[in-house]
Amino acid sequence: MSLLSKLKETLVCLKAGRVTLPYPARSRPVPPNFRGRPIFDAAKCIGCAGCANNCPAHEILVFDVCQEVRILKYLGRRCTYCGRCADVCPEKAITMSLEFETGTDRIGDLQQRLDLFMSTCQRCGRCFKEPSLLEQLQQKGYRFDDLQNERWVFRSQSYLEGEPAADDITIELD
Amino acid sequence: MLKNLCQKMFGRSLWVYHANSGGCNGCDIEVLTVLTPYYDVERFGIKLVGSPRHADVMLCQGPAMHSTAKALRRAYEAMPSPKLVFAIGSCACGGGIWHDSYSVMGPVEKVVPVNFYIPGCPPRPEAIIYGVAVAVGLVDKKTAPVQFKQLALPIPRYHPGDLRGEGELVVYEKVEKI
Amino acid sequence: MNLLWSILCALANVAIVLLVAPLFQGVLRKVTAVVQSRQGPPVQQPYLDLLKLLGKEDIESGESPVMQRFAAYLSLATVLTVACLVPMGFAAPMNSAGDVILLIYLLTLCGICTLLAGLAAGSTYSLMGISREMMTMIALEPLFAVAIIVGVIHTSSFRLDTVLNGSVYAHGGFPWSGLVMLLVMTLSFQAFVQRVPFDISEAETELMEGPLMEYSGPKLAVFKFAQMAKLVVHSALFVALFAPWGSGLAFPLGWLLFWAKVSALVLFVTLVAATHARFRIDQAIRYFAGLLVLALAALVLAGYGL
Repeated sequence: MSLLSKLKETLVCLKAGRVTLPYPARSRPVPPNFRGRPIFDAAKCIGCAGCANNCPAHEILVFDVCQEVRILKYLGRRCTYCGRCADVCPEKAITMSLEFETGTDRIGDLQQRLDLFMSTCQRCGRCFKEPSLLEQLQQKGYRFDDLQNERWVFRSQSYLEGEPAADDITIELD
Repeated sequence: MLKNLCQKMFGRSLWVYHANSGGCNGCDIEVLTVLTPYYDVERFGIKLVGSPRHADVMLCQGPAMHSTAKALRRAYEAMPSPKLVFAIGSCACGGGIWHDSYSVMGPVEKVVPVNFYIPGCPPRPEAIIYGVAVAVGLVDKKTAPVQFKQLALPIPRYHPGDLRGEGELVVYEKVEKI
Repeated sequence: MNLLWSILCALANVAIVLLVAPLFQGVLRKVTAVVQSRQGPPVQQPYLDLLKLLGKEDIESGESPVMQRFAAYLSLATVLTVACLVPMGFAAPMNSAGDVILLIYLLTLCGICTLLAGLAAGSTYSLMGISREMMTMIALEPLFAVAIIVGVIHTSSFRLDTVLNGSVYAHGGFPWSGLVMLLVMTLSFQAFVQRVPFDISEAETELMEGPLMEYSGPKLAVFKFAQMAKLVVHSALFVALFAPWGSGLAFPLGWLLFWAKVSALVLFVTLVAATHARFRIDQAIRYFAGLLVLALAALVLAGYGL
């Protein structure tokens, strides 16, 4: 703690000059493998819901309006930018962009909603049948995630009317 | 007149109180990085204070847990108005990966009203500075909701009962709306 | 006429301290930032801070709101009263109203206001903060008192304008006691103005700002203002006691020279504060005890006329 060592320390810091990045004025280039916000390309999406099944935070909700229309909603609230959706997508419709400047005062600004037309047979109007019986068993069926409350629906009984999707635990704050 | 002046000065000297209510500390480290010389945030007048009574902005980080919800609420009520709450990180914005865990109550906005969201896991220090700059009014927002509709309902459908054979042609009689 | 003139001088002193104190604090923060290789806040930042604090809601909490109010206003009032008693480039405006003993008591009262503030809050952190502040005060105030008494012994008078005029250096022979007291005061000046390495009672990260924890809004602005003004007033006292050369010059020059000396002292305080870490309370007490021994040695030397 001698005075001389403190003076030397001061001189070293002063020689470094000013290292502050003038951030909002000028930005630094982002490293090329950076995983920013995922962008969903609706022209390529086939509505398989593989991204929704793989998302660790259950961030992508799937809702079937009718046999032909499927709504995919990416909420953007709890996304951890892991990139699993982009990895799994068979059509490469999801890209992890380089955007990270996503501060906003309404959380609804981050959502991306795709209303997709699922191809059905134009003559009979039903979905294409899987080639073998075994693959027919693997069909997941219709999905009715809760778009209003932005929640996945897990229990099969919740598809019936009148059953709550999940219970809320109340806590009292005094 | 003095009151107007004081309110205009609010955006130029924000004192920040950091409240971590159960997160993994990743966003903690990013917030601390923002205070270091590279990303120096003190040039906007922002200072880290130790007591919520001195602070203007509460930086919430981590989801609201059942055990820390009461403490978070008390810290929020201890702040003098006018006050702001920033939710930093995915856990505070929407519950994060742990949103349906047994100990997590949900996002921070179930306990305190949030003014500003900065998502990310963890958000880069530049993202945090950008969020604060948008809140203060220095730069514009860069996000907006995206909606893509591939078709509009109702769609016409061909019903086999309306197909009629006329010689070698198949004629369609009517269009049915669903 | 004389009374009116002294009242005007007192008001001028007080106004100058009020206006200039946040500027010195701003310079302190900026220089700290430059030493740490970053761009710091703009120099007018403390003015913005104080204005913002004045516009916030005032929450009265803690054990006794009345004492909270009292402690806040008393701290600023005490510091400004000391400002009236200190010569700042011209003669002290109220030197016929009191003598050196009053000065010592007023300076101690500044420290007691922090104790009252902590007691008014009554929470664990505040009580820990004020216990540390009490220990520091007990070790520190004797140092300053000895400096003043050395001056009194050399000039054999209690009047403010004679003592606060470099009286620490004896006139005959080599000024031993003056130099020893100069060394002691330089080494402990940081503690008087409550900066690192000695800001033990208001340690920000250790004690959540200790005694000031429950203050919000305008009362916090008053306390912060009192702390900033303390820096200016203590520097003025130091300059008047130990470095008064050139104060006899004509009005603009003497005044400017005085403020130049005070700025140099504030710069020294800043550089020390930016490069050191905070002491623990037991390390600080041992340090002050060593300095107290030196100060008493200086007192003995002064008794012998050296």
